[in-house]
Amino acid sequence: MAKLKLGLYWAASCGGCDVAVLDVNEKILDVAEMADIVFWPIALDFKYHHVEAMPDKDIDICLFNGAVRSSEQESIAKLLRAKSKTMVAFGSCACFGGIPALANFATRADIMERAYIEAPSNDNPDKVLPQIKTQVAEGELELPELYDTVLTLAQVVDVEYFVPGCPPPVPLILKVVEAIATNNLPPPGAVIASDKTLCDECDRKKEEKKISKIYRPHEIDPDPERCLLEQGILCMGPATRGGCGALCINVNMPCRGCFGPPAGVIDQGAKMVSAVASIYQANGEEDIAQMVRDIVDPAGTFYRFGLSDSMLKRKRLQRR
Amino acid sequence: MLTKMLAQLGIEEERVRLDWVSASEGERFASIVNEMTEQIRELGPFNRNNGGDHG
Repeated sequence: MAKLKLGLYWAASCGGCDVAVLDVNEKILDVAEMADIVFWPIALDFKYHHVEAMPDKDIDICLFNGAVRSSEQESIAKLLRAKSKTMVAFGSCACFGGIPALANFATRADIMERAYIEAPSNDNPDKVLPQIKTQVAEGELELPELYDTVLTLAQVVDVEYFVPGCPPPVPLILKVVEAIATNNLPPPGAVIASDKTLCDECDRKKEEKKISKIYRPHEIDPDPERCLLEQGILCMGPATRGGCGALCINVNMPCRGCFGPPAGVIDQGAKMVSAVASIYQANGEEDIAQMVRDIVDPAGTFYRFGLSDSMLKRKRLQRR
Repeated sequence: MLTKMLAQLGIEEERVRLDWVSASEGERFASIVNEMTEQIRELGPFNRNNGGDHG
């Protein structure tokens, strides 16, 4: 069998997804046996023009990590789409927007103001902001445009498979590699993880889902055997897809929702609000007010990884 | 909690209202619906703007 051609790219991401690919350790040799890596900015010295020179659909599988929030990322996503037979949204940012999508609570103008003017470490008396085009003595310089809204990969190009996770855990990556190697991929559109919720796969002891006090993780030393949500810790398990191996839960940390909504759920945050509201035991207005105070940042907590993918996508802009 | 979250997402609190009406309070029900309709009409259509042209 001819070797597969594999491409990897990072857009708006932290680099953790690329590191997760390397974390397969000695299995990376199996990957190298099976595939030629033709593009991987973090590890190999290929340039955009090398990709542009490839015939269309030349890359067999493209693992694309990171959200799309600049003109450069959008154009490379479209370029890689044209050159790839199979496009995989790899990691929570590419699938749902991920942590970068929290920028959707602000606008580009807010971000520029904060990063280049307000932040205490700045020394920028002339309030200079990055420009898309700048004239200098040597000619014109160009920077990619930062978008107001962080987008998922599927909001920009067609995507065949989704591999969630921040980052995708190694066993899941190996499952993908094996599926590719044995030509055993699921039908396009599939999320390669579990179809159940994390709660379904969690081994903790679950008794009665009733809470009367919300704790942030640092405010309590949780019982390692019992359901974290029942102990008052906001665990995203009920509104999150399983398949991660419950890594956070096993070290006594609540689920933060990086696997996105489970099958059949459109809006992860809305689902979680409904779950929390239905188990909270309130006796009167003051209890409810206390809960609302205790959940300091509901939108940021329940859409921590999924704002781009939510029904609203972003904080609404009061613009006609 | 829902209204707090919707405010974070830029949705006016006047668009959401929770009230209790008994099945026997027909008039109250009608007046609440009318008030709500009027309030929404004043706010105008809900444009999602959805990040279109990248927001």
